[in-house]
Amino acid sequence: MIYTKKSPALLIIGVMMLLWGWLNASGGIDGMQRYLQKSAYSDHMKVKEKFDAELRVATEIATAEGKPAPVMKMPKSKFDAAKASQANLSYIFGGIATVLGLLIMVWTPKEGQFDYYLSIFPGMAFILLIAFIVRWGLDPIFANWGKDAKDTLGFDFAHIFNLNYVVLGIVIGIVIVNVFKIPAWAANGVRTARFFLKTGVILLGALYSATELAQLGGLSVIMIGIFVLGSVGVVLYMGKRMKSGNSMTAVLSAGMGVCGVSATVAASPVVNAKAGEIAYTIGTILIWGVGCMFLFPTIGHMLNMGPVQFGAWAGTGILNSAQVAGAALAFDPHGIETLKVAEIFNITRVLFLPIIVLWLAAWYVKHEAGAQKVDLGKVLLAKFPLFVLGFILLFILSTLGVFTPSGHYQGKYFSSEEIKEDKLLKGKETRAIEGELARLKEPAGAKQLQDHFAEKAINIGQRHATPDDAYKGLADLIANKKMTTREQETLLAAVGKMKGLDAVAASSIDKASKAAYHSSKTISAFRDWLAWLFAFGLIGLGMQITMAALKQAGGTPLIIGGVVGTGKAVGSLIVVLLFVKEFI
Amino acid sequence: MKTPLKLLLCHHGTAGANRAEALAHELTVPGTTMIVHCLVVPELWAGMQGDDWLNNASTRDTFGSYVENMLENDARRELAGVAGRCKERGIAYEAVMRLGEPADVVLAVATETGADLVVIGPPRRKGEEGLRSRMDLEKLVRGLKCPLLIAPRP
Repeated sequence: MIYTKKSPALLIIGVMMLLWGWLNASGGIDGMQRYLQKSAYSDHMKVKEKFDAELRVATEIATAEGKPAPVMKMPKSKFDAAKASQANLSYIFGGIATVLGLLIMVWTPKEGQFDYYLSIFPGMAFILLIAFIVRWGLDPIFANWGKDAKDTLGFDFAHIFNLNYVVLGIVIGIVIVNVFKIPAWAANGVRTARFFLKTGVILLGALYSATELAQLGGLSVIMIGIFVLGSVGVVLYMGKRMKSGNSMTAVLSAGMGVCGVSATVAASPVVNAKAGEIAYTIGTILIWGVGCMFLFPTIGHMLNMGPVQFGAWAGTGILNSAQVAGAALAFDPHGIETLKVAEIFNITRVLFLPIIVLWLAAWYVKHEAGAQKVDLGKVLLAKFPLFVLGFILLFILSTLGVFTPSGHYQGKYFSSEEIKEDKLLKGKETRAIEGELARLKEPAGAKQLQDHFAEKAINIGQRHATPDDAYKGLADLIANKKMTTREQETLLAAVGKMKGLDAVAASSIDKASKAAYHSSKTISAFRDWLAWLFAFGLIGLGMQITMAALKQAGGTPLIIGGVVGTGKAVGSLIVVLLFVKEFI
Repeated sequence: MKTPLKLLLCHHGTAGANRAEALAHELTVPGTTMIVHCLVVPELWAGMQGDDWLNNASTRDTFGSYVENMLENDARRELAGVAGRCKERGIAYEAVMRLGEPADVVLAVATETGADLVVIGPPRRKGEEGLRSRMDLEKLVRGLKCPLLIAPRP
């Protein structure tokens, strides 16, 4: 079979990308970018004003000294960086697409591996083009419209209804597959969306600290354990009461309980689900999942939820796993804290999947006459999600300091050696700290320190911090004009937050703390790539949601799904609001 | 009514399809009429893995093969049933099985086989159980070059 379709589509997409890159690099669309990148452009104007002033002063000094006017280069603003990033990405991917597009036009495809792998590029470029349009065009346009209409409407509709690149991308994917159909030349590439989504989850592993993973892992096991087992149990009970068939009940409980369509796909062959039962279940889950993806983030914003609360709620309450990632990114499209929480819940769900499939297989064998027993080991092995191993590997590598010095927190790490000269404390600042050090050495000051450390439970290693630790830390800070160890920084950061401390001294300590932490370039790049990978994956998955599948929702599955889906969403919301606090 | 020489019967095992089959048998004359049995596997099955992304390729393949086998077995059972009943009555029989949108497939098969009459079952009532893959009657009526007969409800 020949997979590569002879079509100029990839070449056209490549040329469009190259053109966009050139327009950005040459400044040909600066007017449009000023509208699209309003905040970055305002930064650009500030940088320009500062640079103009510095240049004017330097020129005046040079003129007074009889020297020629200095040549200075304006530092890059966020606006410049945004345009450069768009140009670079467009050049890289546009270049690849153009070369491969030309190859498709001139090459006569022959059966084989090369034909197969070449056939996926047009579809990938198609999704990437949509991702570019949505992330660089529609997302900022809707954000601007939302702000412009705020005075009239009284609220920012783009923020409340989450009209950001994630939601818009998924919607465009759904519209394409249902209205226009996926073009034949793109069909193979569109299927790679799953691979990129899994790659995103694997990369995400590098962004967790051990503490975060332990806390989120514990919380997710409890929440998922209760709600997964609870939903599976409720569906089994309702199925029996409503006289639904055994295979129908089993496949529905997997879908409603664990991770939606993925669980249905995994469980159907094991419980001998019939064609109609599979169609009803998947239709119900999809319609419920898509609805939740739009509803959850809006409710989350209205309830002013934080990343941990929303991630935990979406990760537990949304039936279908693809929409969990979508809802998390829709809620917080420009940060990844919510996604990090939600994905831990997704991973916990998928780890529960083989166990639930086994449970349902055993349940089915017990209730269905003539049902064949399944090989437990074989099911466990076949259903084990291998990408979770990749996630764990990235987490271990990150914890060992392969990407950034170990002990980093959200990509930031402590390093005294890397503090730049201009970030060292100035004379006025060290003098303010000296004044506070002298005051804190007085009996009243020592008592204030003692009480503050006790109240905030500040420790040095295994023991409680004492005023003497603070005196030594402050003296070292004055002597070195910077923080030298992480312990010193932790201790003095606590001192800096003490009530009644001189404002200059407090801000100087804060400045020294911030100067000692550095962002890992590798982790920053990971964060940026993650946003692209998830955008790409979710647009591609949007293209798999067909109206024909959604229309199958109905009958008993819709009734049971409605009851269990609502119960799960409302129940997990109550639990999250009552018991889950923000801790990362 | 003129005896049809080639009657295209749309049959996929539902109650409505059984009525269409009964009607077709009333109209056929052994030795004169041939029944072309058109069985459409709805295209919706192509998108039935939905947006599953957590499963590994082997689980998805297992699911795909499972659904394919099940649909194939169902289809073969239907084909064998209609073929058997035609044989009992001495009516010539031919089967065509296709994946696609029902109306598109019927139009294509009617043209390819040169059918002079198409017989289908009545549309399902709203809320009645079954896959939601309805025949686009308007498209069918506009596109057919031969008469269309819809079996009545009981």
